[in-house]
Amino acid sequence: MRSYELMVILDADLEERAVTPLLEQFLNVIRNDGGKVEKIDTWGRRRLSYEIKKKSEGIYAVVDLAAEPATVKELDRQMNLNESVLRTKVLRPDQR
Amino acid sequence: MAKAPARKPKKKVCVFCKEKISYVDYKDTNLLRKFISDRGKIRARRVTGNCTQHQRDVAVAVKNSREMALLPYTSTAR
Repeated sequence: MRSYELMVILDADLEERAVTPLLEQFLNVIRNDGGKVEKIDTWGRRRLSYEIKKKSEGIYAVVDLAAEPATVKELDRQMNLNESVLRTKVLRPDQR
Repeated sequence: MAKAPARKPKKKVCVFCKEKISYVDYKDTNLLRKFISDRGKIRARRVTGNCTQHQRDVAVAVKNSREMALLPYTSTAR
């Protein structure tokens, strides 16, 4: 198990109350595979510094989790397939 | 003949070494903004006064931040 930090930018057209269920749905990938979700920090709407997919706003969320590398890879893959995810970033905070 | 005045640059101490910050967070845009110009370029070490290691950490953090659209790659506002 390794600890990861995941940042996602979601489409701002998404409704505020739809954000948490969507995140939970993704994070079930981690939970079902024996990983732990430690913290979810939703920043909310934020202006993007430049347009992504012609959008100038995004909903930011930062998730701290611990899981196997393969699980995180799968999570990242599924997120990138979803239309309402603009961008993701996975980092290992202990590796610096 | 006037000699070029010997410039005595004030020795800057790296802010990260001084504050004992070991990890430069890419999410902390307020901090990182101090290390980019108004054009969005990363400031040189001779400007920021950072030590080698921390300048590198800052550069990596800025680049990560740019990928997540927290900081601009370029900005035309001057």
